[in-house]
Amino acid sequence: MTVTLADLTARTGLDVLDHLEREVTVPVIDGLQAQGDLIVIPRALVPEVTVRDTADWRRVPPSGLELLRSASGGNPHTLVADAGTCRWTTGFWDVERLALGVLQTSAPAYLVHPEHGGTGIAPGAYVVRRQREGSGPSRRGSTFLGGVRLVVD
Amino acid sequence: MSPAHDLPPARQAIDIRDEWLACGLSTAPAEREAFETAVRGLYEMVGAGPPRFVWVDSPAAAVPVLAGLGTQVVPAGSLLRTSDLPPVASRLASLMTDLRGHLDGRLRRRPAGRLRPALAVPLESLPPEEALRHGVRPERLVEVTVADSLRTSLRDCVAAPLRTAFHKVRGQRHWLTWYGQHDAHWVARHDAWRRLGLLRLARQDARQLDLWAELARRGGWWWPGEGVCVVSERPAEVHWEPMPGGLHGQVRLHRDDGPAVRFRDGWGVHVLHGTHVPGWVIEDPAVERIHAEPNIEVRRSAIERIGWETYISRAGLALVGAAPDPGNPGCELRLYDMPGARVLLAVNGSVERDGHRRRYGLTVPTDIDDPIEAAGWSYGLSGELYAQLVRRT
Repeated sequence: MTVTLADLTARTGLDVLDHLEREVTVPVIDGLQAQGDLIVIPRALVPEVTVRDTADWRRVPPSGLELLRSASGGNPHTLVADAGTCRWTTGFWDVERLALGVLQTSAPAYLVHPEHGGTGIAPGAYVVRRQREGSGPSRRGSTFLGGVRLVVD
Repeated sequence: MSPAHDLPPARQAIDIRDEWLACGLSTAPAEREAFETAVRGLYEMVGAGPPRFVWVDSPAAAVPVLAGLGTQVVPAGSLLRTSDLPPVASRLASLMTDLRGHLDGRLRRRPAGRLRPALAVPLESLPPEEALRHGVRPERLVEVTVADSLRTSLRDCVAAPLRTAFHKVRGQRHWLTWYGQHDAHWVARHDAWRRLGLLRLARQDARQLDLWAELARRGGWWWPGEGVCVVSERPAEVHWEPMPGGLHGQVRLHRDDGPAVRFRDGWGVHVLHGTHVPGWVIEDPAVERIHAEPNIEVRRSAIERIGWETYISRAGLALVGAAPDPGNPGCELRLYDMPGARVLLAVNGSVERDGHRRRYGLTVPTDIDDPIEAAGWSYGLSGELYAQLVRRT
């Protein structure tokens, strides 16, 4: 079954900005995909991100789970899925300290954003990371030591 | 509760919030007599005699006045003898803290009432009427629609940049400041509980809350001292915009052709879409100034004022490399050298309202030479992994 942006907004009650094309089908992808300052990474690609044994897994409700909202209040990225198909945890370890959480879904889940519209996530396990900026020359080994800030679009 | 009964409290909460937001953003001259009466009431509550009042045009203008008053306005910290009564400012601070703690505690101890478990989306993401229809308790609604909203708008977005600017003028001196109209966020919360019938106040508490409310309604910042109270006028201008995505009436400061807040003596702050910036960012965002600026948010605001592409060409930044952006067909990633960093110029995955795609710059470490590697780094990925990006929106 294909899902359009209009379906997603109707199902969740979330809204997107008027200029986005609502009748277009939202592709469901099992690979790496970015929505603005967030990126969805198949877990197999980032084995360094590990979920703790004691992690609490939260069911993603059909009305959605807000993953990230900018400091000044706007533009949330919301994860939505059919009831009982998708779960989310923040009990993980990420050496890059960019992960927001890990999700596991048995049916397509969707990320909805007022400016970026919708994007579909195929069944599987994924790490959701946010984006950073940095300056300076300092890289020692794999650890970045310069000034870093997280991006919020 | 049926929806028909739920709607009025939501409407009422919104009205109460908007009323207090208007106080917080008011540019009307202070109502001096009413303000002074309320201050005298609070002095009386802490056992102090009525002060004389010194009015100034802005918080900055209060600084020399306060300094001239010397120890009359110095709050805690100067108490060497235990027999001393704490300064009036400290007593007022305790009075206010006790009231807030006491009322918060009473509301927390209320019976939980009916909770509908279906609500899994954060309350911030639901319009107030809908929240009530989902079975959210009115207390929770007031917290989000009135208290959180006004805290964001007035404390974080208006008072915070003014306080930062005030601290620069004030230097090392420590005076206890009350924010008058910008204290409206906490007053409004308790006022909303009371007006929605969620909390009955004892007479003394009601009297005190009324006094704090009166100050928030009638004037600006103030500094209570021994026998003297310095009070600032409200600003002459406040420019703001609705917070994008805010469902609870949140606002942030914004003005791109002058100060967002300007007091009657000219003092104020410049703010672009909620980011507090120095005046030069608006008046003269020159490349040299951008490069000398240590704060990345300020640099970004200044660069965005002139546009990333214009900035790159004006600054004569050298292109390090370019590559097609994986997952973003037809768009290119371009990596440039800039002082102390490299900047990756990328194109948004989705169109703006005007049909264009926004270009934006991200700074990356200076030892990254490849644009794909740079884009990957921004998400903690290798270039090789980032090259596998299927889609960008």
